[in-house]
Amino acid sequence: MNGNDRNTLIYRFVITLLVILAINFFLPRMMPGDPFSTLSSDIEGEDVIIMTEEQRQYFIHYYGMDLPLHEQFFLYLANMAKGDFGQSIYYKLPVTRVILLHLPWTILIVLSATAMSTIIGIIIGTISARNRKKGSDRFMMAGLIAFAEIPSFLLGIILLLIFSVQFRLFPLAGAITPFAHYTSLLDQVWDIAHHAFLPIITLSLAQLTGVYLLTRNTLITVSTKDYIRTAVAKGIGEKTVWTRHALRNALLPVVTRTGFMIGLMMGGAVLVETVFSYPGIGLTLRSAVVNRDYALIQGILLIVAVAILLCNLVVDRVYRQLDPRVTE
Amino acid sequence: MHSESLPINRPFDISFLQNYIDRSKYIFTLFSIEGKIALCGVILIFMVALFAPVLSVYLPDKITGSSLEPPGPTHLLGTDELGMDIWSQICYGARMSLVIGLSVACIAGLGGGALGILAGYLGGPTDQLLMRTVDVLMALPSFPLLIVISAFMGPSILNVICVLVLFSWAKPARVARSQTLAIRDNTYIIAAKNFGGTPVYILRRHILPEMLPILFVLIISITSYAIVAETGLAFLGLGDPTSKSWGMMLYYATSFKAIYFTSFWQWWLIPPLVALVFLVLSLAFIGRDLEQVLDPRLRKNGGV
Repeated sequence: MNGNDRNTLIYRFVITLLVILAINFFLPRMMPGDPFSTLSSDIEGEDVIIMTEEQRQYFIHYYGMDLPLHEQFFLYLANMAKGDFGQSIYYKLPVTRVILLHLPWTILIVLSATAMSTIIGIIIGTISARNRKKGSDRFMMAGLIAFAEIPSFLLGIILLLIFSVQFRLFPLAGAITPFAHYTSLLDQVWDIAHHAFLPIITLSLAQLTGVYLLTRNTLITVSTKDYIRTAVAKGIGEKTVWTRHALRNALLPVVTRTGFMIGLMMGGAVLVETVFSYPGIGLTLRSAVVNRDYALIQGILLIVAVAILLCNLVVDRVYRQLDPRVTE
Repeated sequence: MHSESLPINRPFDISFLQNYIDRSKYIFTLFSIEGKIALCGVILIFMVALFAPVLSVYLPDKITGSSLEPPGPTHLLGTDELGMDIWSQICYGARMSLVIGLSVACIAGLGGGALGILAGYLGGPTDQLLMRTVDVLMALPSFPLLIVISAFMGPSILNVICVLVLFSWAKPARVARSQTLAIRDNTYIIAAKNFGGTPVYILRRHILPEMLPILFVLIISITSYAIVAETGLAFLGLGDPTSKSWGMMLYYATSFKAIYFTSFWQWWLIPPLVALVFLVLSLAFIGRDLEQVLDPRLRKNGGV
């Protein structure tokens, strides 16, 4: 619970980051095929030859793929330290540019979904903890658990079929209306929100139940504590007891979970973005894998991993702020 | 308690298995209504998978009708874009899902559990090494890595199973280790040791009976994880193209151009979707009920 604890935390993050860097580097290089022989074919064994052998050798040399593997690795680490993730072979742009182009969309849906599921989860968790003896609570719990167990991309397909295909309330694909001319800023914000709505709902529904159950269960545990009885006996009113004494203590595990959740969502977003053809980082990762775009895959994996680790560090910080017992 | 018989040199005794059968019968009576329905659902899907050739008239990968026929008397659920029967694809797809789910869960659950017990029992550097590996594995972003690894290993069922095992053994290992540590220093274990109980005897007689129910719950949740992950990979186009899994059906249906502007999705997309949601939900409810039945703390509170 002190500096030592903190050191092990950072030490673990460094190790994890190194492992990811190593996997990042070696794995794509062991994939079958190379980026110059499979450019427009998904079928294995069917190489579409669009360049001569000389040209191929030239490009392999140009991208430094003829160097010994360990030299490539050190070069990679050095470039990584400079923030240079290499060149995307498919998009013909620096990897950093490609990622920056798509990352905002993923951040938009992941952060909105996190905020939404956390806030709604805490609210219904509190309501449910206060009514826990009633039948309505049991009904709500069973329903929410069912929602949580449906994998997010299947839920996404269901929502897409109902709201976009059947009722035509939301767009089928994309993040903005193509070739749209916005008359005002409000118009543009509305268009983006309209496209992002279903992906955000899908991601938050998948996480909502976790927050809900955690809030509910910790609140129930906390409400049996002595200090709650003291607070009630003081006569400060039920509402104050719940918000200032019970909820504040019950929120600690919820905060820890939120950081963990962002990581999970980044992973889930890959599939959800595919369902809604949402042009975030997940859809880009998919096209990178299909096109064997090594540098882009590495860059995306690294960004996702670093994002998850950063979230954990931030959560650690917030936790220390919230819980005066954990001091440095 | 230990002096009445000398089971140390006895071969693996079968009464302990009979005991388990009796206990599972008892456990079933403790299930909630949802849990009982879920168990019937999983058994139903098992039957469909087992009797797939009997239940379906056509082979799932043979062209038996015209393209995109709506449901009718010849093709129960219609056909896909190549004219293959969708009902038989569902039947054979159940095999894929169950084989992948169960094999990943058994290998990862039992293998991870064994490693965890070993680490907990031996302690020292073995334990340290295992736990650091588990820490790193659990911190990795599993799904993006899963995508890349399976793209690199090539899309065969065996590879998918290997990759999924790689990412799911960490949790059972950690749980088994902490359980072993919690049990290891109990006085009854020390007593058994002092009476001359060998490590194998202590493991079989004291540690395994405590561990198996917990591992079993984990195995169910890994089954569900593996089925979903396989579906996800197939949905991204990283599944085995020669197999007809439910995920592959979703993949082919959703990559069909403009499927949402036609009515094809009604019989092409919905059946695998319903089948998957049903299977995953059933497994989840079974897992939840088992957990409540096996964990006495949860049972007392009436399932908080």
